[in-house]
Amino acid sequence: MLDVILSQVASGLVLGSLYVLIAIGLSIIFGLLGIVNFAHGAFFTLGAYFALTLYRSFGWPAVVLSPVIVGGVGMIAERLLIRRLYDKEPLLSLIVTFALALMIEASVRLIWGGIGQPFSPPHFLGGFLIWGPILITKYRFAVLLTTASVLLGLWAFLTYTPFGRILRAGSRDAEMVGLLGINLPRVFTWVFGLGCAISGLAGVLAAPLWTVTPSMATNAIMPAFVVVAIGGLGSFAGAVIAGLLVGVVIALTVQFKPEASGAVMYVFMALMLLLRPRGLLGERWERFE
Amino acid sequence: MTESKSGLVLPRRRALLGAASLAAAAPLGRPFVANAAAEPIRIGLLLAKTGQIAPQTEYLAQGTYLALEERGNTIMGQPAELVWLDEPSPQDATQNMRKLVQEQKVCAILGGSLSSNALAEEATAAQLKIPFVCDNAAATDITGKNCNRYTFRLNTPVLVQSRMLAPYAMGYGKRWYFLTASFAFGQDILRSSRALLKEAGGTEAGVDEVPLNTADFSSFILKIRQAKPDVVLGGLSAGDLSTFLKQWNELGMKGKIPVCEIAIGDTDIWAVGKEAATGTYTALWWYKNPNNPPEEKAFAESYQKKFNRPAADKAWMGWITAKSLFESIELAKSTEPMAIVEGLENWKFISAGTSYSYRKFDHQMLLKNLVVQVKDNIPDQWDYFDVKASLPENSADLEKVFGTPEEVGCKMT
Repeated sequence: MLDVILSQVASGLVLGSLYVLIAIGLSIIFGLLGIVNFAHGAFFTLGAYFALTLYRSFGWPAVVLSPVIVGGVGMIAERLLIRRLYDKEPLLSLIVTFALALMIEASVRLIWGGIGQPFSPPHFLGGFLIWGPILITKYRFAVLLTTASVLLGLWAFLTYTPFGRILRAGSRDAEMVGLLGINLPRVFTWVFGLGCAISGLAGVLAAPLWTVTPSMATNAIMPAFVVVAIGGLGSFAGAVIAGLLVGVVIALTVQFKPEASGAVMYVFMALMLLLRPRGLLGERWERFE
Repeated sequence: MTESKSGLVLPRRRALLGAASLAAAAPLGRPFVANAAAEPIRIGLLLAKTGQIAPQTEYLAQGTYLALEERGNTIMGQPAELVWLDEPSPQDATQNMRKLVQEQKVCAILGGSLSSNALAEEATAAQLKIPFVCDNAAATDITGKNCNRYTFRLNTPVLVQSRMLAPYAMGYGKRWYFLTASFAFGQDILRSSRALLKEAGGTEAGVDEVPLNTADFSSFILKIRQAKPDVVLGGLSAGDLSTFLKQWNELGMKGKIPVCEIAIGDTDIWAVGKEAATGTYTALWWYKNPNNPPEEKAFAESYQKKFNRPAADKAWMGWITAKSLFESIELAKSTEPMAIVEGLENWKFISAGTSYSYRKFDHQMLLKNLVVQVKDNIPDQWDYFDVKASLPENSADLEKVFGTPEEVGCKMT
């Protein structure tokens, strides 16, 4: 039985790592800009579709450009729409980003069509890795490694670079950072683009595993919100731990009570919030309290 | 000159008056038509616009619109139009059904993309006394114990399709693993297939009910891999089936354990891709079936011409149900609900050895089903299937295969 559980845990970690990537972008945007981005799943979908088009036109290496393009689209959306919401009621940002999500989904439907698009993992990542009782495909292992690398790079970027320090300071006291002569609106544009690019990357990684359809964000956005709520709003480390935990809990539920695997993350969230209302690593945020 | 002019004017006035009187009196001599002469005949379309079923409903809607275009957008010589509302959930679907009837004044409704929606919609149809032709849902109860006078259904019930598929699944062995969706459609498949397996003396290797919109099947596949069944009997719908097949291949299971499922949609398999596609399925229609009658070949051609891609089975399903409704209204010469119901009960499509009609006692369409298998070498992005059989082989057996009134359990209310 132990070998089955270990295999399920490995499988859950891969699913969790995708949730982490989606949730991290959401968490960064909320933590630094104070925007609850309902359109985040739509950027995930865009990542998958751009990857599909780039792959069909130029082959696998071109797929790496997909998150960059998604980030660019995110920056345009921020300049045109999102920045008007920073000092407004939170409800307005919910409504506007929800509308943006619908608009992106409709555009995807218009450009690529409504039916699912076939997309398989690359041949060079075909086959398995077997460690004792654990079996994992090379593609899924690559997803794990990519997620770990991105998270590490992001952490280093936010912790050690001057830009990262500005971001963190700006998220705590935007007015003070502005008084120091830093162009915060431009910084915010980059932050929103970065969050969207990470979501786009999750879309790229998920596309060969999930069905690529205009509504594929449905499978991504709710778990992402659950992960952010469990991890603690705006907490980087919290989102990572929560995402992996949610993935593992789902995988183990499939083993023992499969019909409950869709609902288990919500039960997990409810329990977690009962025990710790701010989430696992949630802090007190002056600007929101 | 004046006389001659007035002589000319008076008859013209009389003629105009006469024509106006005739035009005004004409409706009195015609059968009942619900809408005023200037108003078009409205037909409601109740299909999901988003969600995992949306790829299928896109085709259903296209087929429906094409059926109306074929008639020059007229019914009984009057302009006709479709009013399409969403069916995001059973509750919202029934609300939209009420809107269609009470606000849009439609005379009949086509739709029901998911079994859970269709079951709720058919009850509302009976309540509102509006003809409802279900074009996609396959749950047995729709024309079984939940049947009513106003509801007609195209898709072959789950139980009947399961009976047709069972011999092919048995061909792989008698140890089955059930992987079914945890809503009406999947639960129906599980119930009927389990009974068939028990009847045949087979054993269950495992049973997993899968929540709708599951993104990752790897945990389920690991369980199947460990259970080592002879065959996986699926009951997943639309996007979930595509995702499962992609991951089934990714985890190296394609070709190792066969997959069988009823009621596959072409869009489900097209989304999987050539590399990952596998399995044996039941289907209602396939655009490359050489036995399609001339009308259906013409439909497939006009669809291809209009949309620049082959007609999926769902496009045909939208087309044939809409055709049956439009022709029934024409037959009834009325938009009055009960006249349309009677029109549908008497509607028949017969061509080149193919016949379709709604059975009187349960309003279930009787038609042969195909057993299709994914080709070993798929030549292009559309041509995935070989037709293995058209069942039942003898058309005279259709009544029997679809079940007797006692077996079906339909008591018209």
